[in-house]
Amino acid sequence: MNLFLYLDRDSPVHRLDPRTKLFLMLGSFAAAVLFFTPAPLLLLLGILLLYGALGRVLGNLRRVWGLLLSIAAMSIVSWSIFAAGTTPLFWRVTREGLVYGIGAALKIDSMIVSGLVFLSTTKTEEIVLGLIRLRVPFQAAFAFSLAIRMVPTIIGTVLTVIEAQRSRGLDTESGGPLARVRTYTPLLVPIFLHTLRNTDQLAKALESRGFGARRERTSLLTIGFHARDAVACILGSVALGLFAAGRFVW
Amino acid sequence: MIRLENLSFRYRAGKEPALRDLTCRIRSGELVGLLGRSGAGRSTLAATLNGTIPHLVRGDLTGRVRIDGEDIRSKRPRDLADRIGFVFQDFEAQLFSTTVPLEVAFGPENLGVDRSEIARRVEWCLSAVRLSHLTRKAPAALSGGQKQRLALASILALNPKVLVLDEPTSDLDPAGRRELLDAIRSLRQAGDLTLLMIDPETDEMAWADRLIVLDGGRITMDGPPAALWDHADALDAMGVKGFTLSKLARRLGLAERWPDAHAAADGIRRGGWQATPGAAERLRAGDHTRDGGEVLLELDGLAHRYPDGTQALAGVSCAIRRGEFVAILGQNGSGKTTLVKHLNGILTPTVGDIRLAGQSLRGQPTTVLSRKVGLVFQNPDHQIFAERVWDEVAFGPRLQGLSEVDVRLRVEEALDAVGLTGMGEMDPFILTKGGRQRVAVASTLATKPEVIILDEPTTGLDYQELHGMMALIQRLNAAGHSVIIITHAMDVAAAYAHRVILMQGGRILRDGSARDVFADAACIGQTGLTPPPVVQVGNRLGVPALTLEELVGELTRHAGGQKANSAEAPPGSGASDVGPWTSRA
Repeated sequence: MNLFLYLDRDSPVHRLDPRTKLFLMLGSFAAAVLFFTPAPLLLLLGILLLYGALGRVLGNLRRVWGLLLSIAAMSIVSWSIFAAGTTPLFWRVTREGLVYGIGAALKIDSMIVSGLVFLSTTKTEEIVLGLIRLRVPFQAAFAFSLAIRMVPTIIGTVLTVIEAQRSRGLDTESGGPLARVRTYTPLLVPIFLHTLRNTDQLAKALESRGFGARRERTSLLTIGFHARDAVACILGSVALGLFAAGRFVW
Repeated sequence: MIRLENLSFRYRAGKEPALRDLTCRIRSGELVGLLGRSGAGRSTLAATLNGTIPHLVRGDLTGRVRIDGEDIRSKRPRDLADRIGFVFQDFEAQLFSTTVPLEVAFGPENLGVDRSEIARRVEWCLSAVRLSHLTRKAPAALSGGQKQRLALASILALNPKVLVLDEPTSDLDPAGRRELLDAIRSLRQAGDLTLLMIDPETDEMAWADRLIVLDGGRITMDGPPAALWDHADALDAMGVKGFTLSKLARRLGLAERWPDAHAAADGIRRGGWQATPGAAERLRAGDHTRDGGEVLLELDGLAHRYPDGTQALAGVSCAIRRGEFVAILGQNGSGKTTLVKHLNGILTPTVGDIRLAGQSLRGQPTTVLSRKVGLVFQNPDHQIFAERVWDEVAFGPRLQGLSEVDVRLRVEEALDAVGLTGMGEMDPFILTKGGRQRVAVASTLATKPEVIILDEPTTGLDYQELHGMMALIQRLNAAGHSVIIITHAMDVAAAYAHRVILMQGGRILRDGSARDVFADAACIGQTGLTPPPVVQVGNRLGVPALTLEELVGELTRHAGGQKANSAEAPPGSGASDVGPWTSRA
């Protein structure tokens, strides 16, 4: 099972410089936190989906579909119940609470979609190169890329350990909070130790590939800031500006 | 050239030294196989060659390692990376790049190699391991064999003169294993690479120039494979599997050396041996006493499609009877593990049904099913969590809500069964891999399942541990448990299983008695698997034998045969008459 997000496609978004894509992602985050009402966030989400479609990576949405929906559902339900409002709809749910919940759901989902498009169109090696150009030290940039790489590995370990312990009769799905805590030790200990062992293996593998042997490192990949990056940055800035301006309208 | 001078090493936590006063010389261009039981010092020795010991793994190191005359004590692995390449068993942990070419480029990039030169090396290395067609793929999306070849390419890109391979094939399926060994063979022909390889399969190391056997941190044997041919018993005593065919030659009183089953069959015929008339019928007749229990598990048109669209199972139907010992064989990706995960409810069939004692598994949770169907996962480290062996084994019975008195009974019984009597107070994490595997089996056993399923129970075990584990499984089977194992070890399947299910592409290709399936060389060949040497020889001689004993027992020497060395002559006495074999033709 491949748990990595990057999709090796040839698209205009793939061809952008990683720094440009980083800027666009951070810009979309900024736009998302500006708003609390659904309409502009819906617009933002639409733009991000178009961006993803341009990068031909929307297929990856399938893999986070459950996450997006459950976050949306949780957000809408909890805000509907807990947010105060003046227009009652039914039970203790108010119109304002519901709208706020929808807004919050769109906000978080937009950010996830934006991050997903970034990781689906950018190789971690490109991210490292981009960060180095932005004056981040190589070691730190590489550590960041390793962290991204470790996520799928750890998810894989977690799934295997859960299956192994369920096969011994551990009930990981039901029970009260106390029972739940008791199920954690048999899961966490093997996951932790296995990850630790993996990390140790990785350290040895990195060393044997000459990691850190020279101060000056070369790179097979090259990145460069081209006219298309300028266009993308300008478009992104204008969009962000419009969103900021719109903040006073909505 | 590598020189080890009075090399000793003790791990920081170790009581005994792992290497004791080791001295040896490895010439440039040699292919050296390192053999030995687990804990004999093979990996420790390998780790001293590139500075992993003492720089990444701490302990007391005395003596010297010289590479081309230079003492490397002060050198870290990264400083030696362009001279000593290191390929590990765990190929997952060695790969971390987004695409195949970038994985290969990582090493030379670290060494500051010029960009155009890196591009050249990437191209050359990928073609050397036959991965040039996969440059657009993500390393994570490759098969096991491809991943290990990619790991090899990524080390070759550093242009090392010495390549150390620490059990590179242990986690591979038979096809992946062959692909990797082929790649290594063609590398040998291409240049004067010095190769040091650790591999538990002695039979597959016959092509080495030299085999070094370690035991207790010392070199106990050192010489060309042909020299080890006559010492099968001595090797057994050191926990190393001797050449299977040499044991056969010895039992038949033939002072010959055979590189493969084909030569062995010819040699045996020349020596005047032939199948005893009625051998096949006699052997088959013995098998029939084995079946006859009632049907326990019934699989009916089982299909499974994973959420990502992979069709892992495409219509599997079969029945498992009480008391059977079944081996499921097939390459990785053929659906073996997916299949057994259905039997205790971890996975639910997309189509089809499974019945346990007539009752459908649908809707029954794993927590309940696990009491009847015990599944032991491949890696014991995915489940061991307790600080005492006792608590680990008691985990299942306690979850069933048994009283502490009953739990104690179950745990003691299970520990007895796996040969860990009285070890309850030990910390499972200080046990060997074989020991941890036993703890995992005991913890399943303690829940008293009717069916015990073991996924690759012998991976990572040495020769002695392997037979200890299989003898244990055989005892459980004799005690009435139905046993299902998944394995890549063909000799294990042949020697222990009654029935073999051969899988390919999510379907059952063949399901029959172990004898019939292994006798059908064409069918096995279709899956890319190879029967074990004894079976191959037997097939050529018309004896459908599964073990050495069966084969020897069903051969008779006819009077008209060419006069061979008399059976009384001590084996090996004729060694001077027979030259070393040439397996690297």
